[in-house]
Formats: sequence, structure tokens, C-alpha cells
Amino acid sequence: MLEPLLRIYRSTVFRLSIIAAALFVASSFVVLGYIYYATVTTRVNAIDAELETELSEFEDIFKSGGANAVNQIAITRILSPSSPNLYLFQNGVNPATSNLEGDPITDTPRGPNETIQFIFEVRNSKTGLGSGVYHRARGRYQVLAPTTVIFVGRDVELIVTAAERVQRALLIAMLIAGTLGIISGAYVSSRFARRIEKFNKLATDIQGGDFKRRAPVTNSGDELDDLARHLNGMLDHIDRLMSAMRYAGDSIAHDLRSPLTRLRTSLEATATQVKDPQARDALFDAADNANELLGTFESVLRIARLEAGDRRELLVNVDPKQLIDDLAELYEPSCEEVGLSFQSNIEGGHMIAADRGLLSQAVSNLLENAIKYTPEGGQIHLNLRKAKSGRVEISVSDDGPGIPAEQRQRVKERFVRLEQSRSLPGTGLGLSLVQAVADLHRANFELSESDIADSGLKAKLIFPRVKK
Amino acid sequence: MRILVVEDDEIAAEYVRKGLMEAGHVVDLAGDGELGLEMAKAADYDALVLDRMLPKRDGLSMLAAMREDGDATPVLILSALGEVDHRVEGLRAGGDDYLAKPYSFAELLARVEAIGRRSDPTAAVTKLKVGDLEMDLLARTVSRGEENILLQPREFRLLECLMRNAGRVVTRTMLLEKVWDYHFDPQTNVIDVHISRLRSKIDKGFETQLLHTVRGAGYRLQT
Repeated sequence: MLEPLLRIYRSTVFRLSIIAAALFVASSFVVLGYIYYATVTTRVNAIDAELETELSEFEDIFKSGGANAVNQIAITRILSPSSPNLYLFQNGVNPATSNLEGDPITDTPRGPNETIQFIFEVRNSKTGLGSGVYHRARGRYQVLAPTTVIFVGRDVELIVTAAERVQRALLIAMLIAGTLGIISGAYVSSRFARRIEKFNKLATDIQGGDFKRRAPVTNSGDELDDLARHLNGMLDHIDRLMSAMRYAGDSIAHDLRSPLTRLRTSLEATATQVKDPQARDALFDAADNANELLGTFESVLRIARLEAGDRRELLVNVDPKQLIDDLAELYEPSCEEVGLSFQSNIEGGHMIAADRGLLSQAVSNLLENAIKYTPEGGQIHLNLRKAKSGRVEISVSDDGPGIPAEQRQRVKERFVRLEQSRSLPGTGLGLSLVQAVADLHRANFELSESDIADSGLKAKLIFPRVKK
Repeated sequence: MRILVVEDDEIAAEYVRKGLMEAGHVVDLAGDGELGLEMAKAADYDALVLDRMLPKRDGLSMLAAMREDGDATPVLILSALGEVDHRVEGLRAGGDDYLAKPYSFAELLARVEAIGRRSDPTAAVTKLKVGDLEMDLLARTVSRGEENILLQPREFRLLECLMRNAGRVVTRTMLLEKVWDYHFDPQTNVIDVHISRLRSKIDKGFETQLLHTVRGAGYRLQT
């Protein structure tokens, strides 16, 4: 459940669409902010300017007519039904002239010429009494004389409500934009990821040697199609080169092995006709040497062909038990012959994708190595068992001299033979062939300490789980 | 046997011809696939040795044409492409056996003689006999003279293979293929060890040795 989500999160397209969503949210914030400014802030500023003008009117009236004139005008304006404003006039002597219940000046301490934001109870227009409805308002006051103060305010409930609506709309719009951005990002990236997945699968298959595979072209003409066409062109080219190489390899095999074969055939043919036993042995030895040469040549070509990796189609799903049982039976007498004890522990019921011939060649190389390098009286174990996470392990262990840890990788290379084994027959190709066979099977070929004695080698082939 | 060798490499073909003639066979040569097909149609051969890579018509297509005609002559396919998939391809195309170059002539001879018409290894026999060595294929018993010989199942199959080819050389590779069904090259004498065990069971204590080693070739069971 978590894994696909994580994969979407890690995808480039998803990250890009998150950024796009964030940018969209930010730009809608700017746009709506401007709308807010144009509709709300400018109106509030206009109101503040009107209040300011009115206050200076009162100031002029006070200068020319004194407190009573100001009081008169205030009363007139309060009573005028067309006046939108709220007034409060105090002169310290008479009770205040006001259409307000409270006193915003003392309730909200602010200096003169500063805007006071306050809440007041709206009066019923018929009765002139409190209606129980409260509105927001803003206002300013002017000190006309030490105890004489005029306050002018304006009910801004409608504007503020509108502003709040705009704010809420802004927030919701951003939330919607963000959510839609993430959802569309996830959708687009999963679509994109599916196509990328096909490319990855293609690369894996090609690495495994399936050179016939091609990238999918959707004909939408997008960048991925361009990429697919380029990749396919490249693969066609590789394929052509590979066929040319194979052809050259086959031709070399055909052309060079034929004369070598003739050499051997003529040596053998002559040997069978010669009566002199000494000459006869010499001819047979020469034929054997030619044979060995051909064998080495054959092995090199074989490894090269396996490494070219075009043989995946050979693999079939099999339970290797029978094959390994037969190999055990085939090699047990050889072990006894040279005084080695042989044990096998072969479990059935594990499936691997393998080619019978190649697998038996690889395991027989491992067995023959063990027999060759383990001194008399030693032991060899051949095991087939289940390894971790559905993989299958075939291993050959001995208690011979083993291979030093730092040499274990090197001995898998072609023609590499260790100093101490130079005296024994061999070409140094056996383990390279095992490696090539392992690679073809996508199996791991590992050399490690022996698990049956203090010294010795354990060679194991670990095959991947077979997909049902 | 009368054998047709279809091979474009003249020198190799000549060697094969010479070798087969020395082994007592009558040999005709054809240098390309077209000629080979004509000759195969014209005469009644006991076996064909057919190279895969041929001018004019490749070996497999020639073989396919023969088989379409209802010609069941046993065919041994030769090829430089000694890989498993080619072997399977060759056998599927109707070949009776497959031999990868480079092969030794002894191997070729043994295989041609094994597939040849005069020796039908699948013939429905129930008893095999070589000298005083007898094998009952139904009862799965082996005896020599008055003595019963107890064999392991694999030793039985090994002996059966040798007895079916009695008097002819059977190579190690052929034994590995026919007895163990393996197509790979052991680097060691793994077959020899099995043969020496079998030999100790059937020959030890008897005056005449039946199981012979043929240097540079393989083994032969004969009186």
C-alpha cells in the first residue's frame, strides 16, 4: 500500500506538478489579494478620508461658533435620516450628544487622528432604541478644546462582511487549487511512471540478452515517443552489430576449427594405421594435444557466445532435483576413485528457469574442480536447497586448500589460474564458463569459505525465484 | 553401409570419405545442397552425413525437403555451430543425430554406424546377447555363462547401450548422451570410471574380455 504511494512521491513528474500547484496557489493568492485590495481596502480608505473631512468641518464650526454650534450641527446630523454617520460630542458640561450607546474613545484608547475600530449596537430606526444587533464600525475623534471632543464614526459591517467573504473564498480557492494540483500531479505522474516503467523493463530485458525487445511508441508524438524512437534506433544498431559479431564468430569457428579438425583427424587416421606401437602412441598423443587445443578454442567461443547473452529463450522452468541427482550419481564413482568421500543433500520441489545442458555443464565444472583440487581422503558435498526469498541454491563444498579471499573474484576471469594449481591440468576457463552460465540464468555465482571444514571452498549458484 | 557425405569443404569431405571407406563403407560425396538432394533422391543410402552450412541449399532445408518427400534415411547433421539451440533445431528438422565441429573422426564413425539402417537401436527386441553375456530387457536381468550379474539401474542402461551397439565403437560423448541424457563436455574421465566399474562386474574372472577400450575413440563390446 505504502510502496506505490512512495513511488509516486519520488517521481519527478509528481514533484514538478507539486511545484506547479504551489505556484498556482501563490499566483491565485496574488490575484485575489489584488481584488481584495481594490474592493475592500480602497473603500475603507475612502471612508476614513470622509471621516477626516467631517472632523475638520467640525473644527471649523467650533472655531467660528463654539461648542454649541458643534452640538447643534451634531444633533442635526444625528436626526437627519440621510446621514450614515455615528456621532459623539462631549464638552464636559452637558450630557454627551450621541447616537451611540457606548463611548468608543474611552473603550478603545487611541490617539486623535487614529482610526478606532469598534462594535456598536444598531438602533431601531422607528423606536430609536437598541435593536440587539451589533455592527462593526470605525471612527475618529478630534479634541476641539481641553474637555471638548467630537467623534465621527461609520458603520462598516457590510464592507467587513464582504471582505471576510472574499478572504474565505480566497482560502478555499487556494485549498481547492492545491488539492487539484496534487491529484492531477499524482494522476499525470502515475501515467508517466507507467510509461517510464516500460522503458525500465525494456532496459532490464535487454541487459538480460533479449535484444528483440523494443520501446513502446504511442504515436502521440511527445518527447517520450522521440526517446523511444531514438532508443529503438540504437537497439536496431546494436542488434545489427551483434548479428555481425555472431556471424563473424560463427565464421571464425567454421573456418578455423575445420583445419584444426582435419589435423586431428589425419593424426588419428594415421595412428590407427601405423603398426609401430611407439609411433602410434606419439601420433595419438599429438591427436590428443590437437584435441585439447580444439577444446580450449571451443570453450572460449562458448563463453563468448554465452556472454553475448542471446540465449535467454533457452531457459525453461524446471525442478533441478533430477538433474543434480543424476550429476551426483555420475560423479560419485569419480570421487571414490581418487579417495574422496562424496555426500549430497538434494531437495526437490524448487523451481528455477534453466537450460539443462548449460546447468549441468556449470555444476559439473564445479564438481570436477572440487575433485581435482581436494587431496585424497577429503570430502565433497553437493547440495540443492531453498535459499532466502524463494531463491534456489546449488552448491559444491570441499575441504581442499580453498581460494584466498582476495583471489576469489579473479579466478572467475578467463585464463586465470592460481600459482599453486599451475602444475595440474586445466585451461583456466572452467569458472569463467560457470560465471557466463550463471549470468545467462541471472543467477549469482559466489565463492566463499567452505561450510564443511576449516579450509576449503564453497562454490554456489543462487538462482532467482521463478515468476509463476 | 552406403553413405552419402554432403560437405562443401573438399579436404574435410575427402578425409571423411577415406575414413569411412577404411571402416568398410561405400561413400559418395556431394559438394552442395542441391546436388546432395538429387543424389539422396536417386540412390538408396543407409545413412547421410550432412553439413549444415552448404552452398546453394543449406543442410537443414535439404533435410526438410528429403523428409517432405517421405525419405526416412538416417541423417547425421554436422555443424560448426555446436550450441544447444542448434542441436535442438537440427533434431527438430528431422536429423537423427547431431555432431558439432570440431569432431573426431572416431566420433563421426561411431555415430554414423549407430544411426545406420542396418543397426536399428530401437528395434523391438527383448533379449540382447554378446558372446556368453546375455541381457533380458523385460526381466531386467543380466547373466554371463551360468553366473547372474547384479547391476545398478544406470549400469544396466550403460551395458544395454553397449550391447545394442555390439561390435561397434561407442564414444564417451555418445554414452553421456544416451545413458545420462547429458549434452555437455566433462573435462575429466568421469565415464571411464563408470566403465571400469561395469567391466569389473561383467569381465572380472572371465577368460575372454568383452568390454574393450578403443584408444582415441571410446569403447566396444565384442567377443
